Amino acid sequence: MPRLDQILRGVLSLILLSISFSALAAQATGSGGAAGVGGLRAYWHVFIAYAVVLVLVLGWVISIGRRLKDVEQRLGE
Amino acid sequence: MSIIGIRRAGIFLAALGLLGLGVVYWMSFFWVSTEASQGIVQRIFYVHPPAAWTSFLAFGIAALTSGMYLWLRDERLDWAASSAAEGGMVFATIMLITGPLWGKIAWGTYWTWEPRLTLTLLLWFVFVGYFMVRRSTDNPEQGKRFSAVVAIVGALLIPFIHLSVVWFRSLHPEPVVITPEGPSLPGDMLTTLLVSVGVFTVLFLGLFMLRYALEGIRHELQVRARRAAA
Repeated sequence: MPRLDQILRGVLSLILLSISFSALAAQATGSGGAAGVGGLRAYWHVFIAYAVVLVLVLGWVISIGRRLKDVEQRLGE
Repeated sequence: MSIIGIRRAGIFLAALGLLGLGVVYWMSFFWVSTEASQGIVQRIFYVHPPAAWTSFLAFGIAALTSGMYLWLRDERLDWAASSAAEGGMVFATIMLITGPLWGKIAWGTYWTWEPRLTLTLLLWFVFVGYFMVRRSTDNPEQGKRFSAVVAIVGALLIPFIHLSVVWFRSLHPEPVVITPEGPSLPGDMLTTLLVSVGVFTVLFLGLFMLRYALEGIRHELQVRARRAAA
C-alpha cells in the first residue's frame, strides 16, 4: 500500500495547489458584472461549498486507504 | 475480475477522478462564465447537481445489489451494496451542505421544508438507518438482510425526489438539463456541468471498487481465521 499512499499524496497536493490558485484568482480578477450578488458572503459560500467537496471526498479516500492498509497488513501476517 | 484486479482498477479510476476534480475546479473558477442573475454563487451549480446525481447513482446501485442479495444470497452482492451505500452517503452529504449554501444567497434562506429538500433529507436519514440496522443485530446475516430491505425502500424515494419539483410548487428550480426539450443552459455552463458529472461518477466508481476490494480482503481474512480455528 505505500504506492497507493504516494499516488494519493501526489494527487492531493496537485488539487490543493490548483484550488489555492483558483480561489486567489477568482478573488483578484472578479467574475463579471453580476459577481456582486450576495456580496462577499457569496464568495465565502462558494469557497465553503468547494472546500466541503474536497474534505468529504478526500476524507473518504483516506478512510478507505487506511482500512485497506490495515486489512492488507493483517493478511500479510 | 479478482479482488486484486478490482483494487488496481479502483486505484486507477480514483486517481483519474481526483485529477479530474482538479480540472473541474479549474473550469469552475477560471473557464466558465458567470451567470448573469445569480452571480458568483451560481458556481456551486458545478458541484451540487453532480453530487446529487452521484448519490442517486450510488443509492440506486445499493438498492439493486441489495435486491439481488436478497434473491441470490451471494456475499459479494452485499459487499457491493454496503460499498455503494457508503459512497452515496458521502455524496448525499455534499449535496445537503452545498445546496443550503447556494440557497442562502439565491433564496435568502438555508433551508425550507419544501418537497425536494425534505425528501432528500429523508433519503439521507434512511441510509443512516441502513448502517445502523447492519450493526444492530447479533446475527450479521440478519443485519445484512434487514439493511438490504432498508436500501430498497430508501431508493424508492429517488424518483419522487427528481419529480417533486415538477409535481409541486417549490423554491427549488426545475431540472435544466434532463428535460423533454433538452438542456436549457449556455454551452460553457453545460460543458462544465457535464465534465463535473463525469468526474464525480468516475471518482465514485473508483472509490466504490476500492471499498469493494476492502470487503473482499476482509472476507479472505475471516476465511483464514476460520481455517486456523478448525
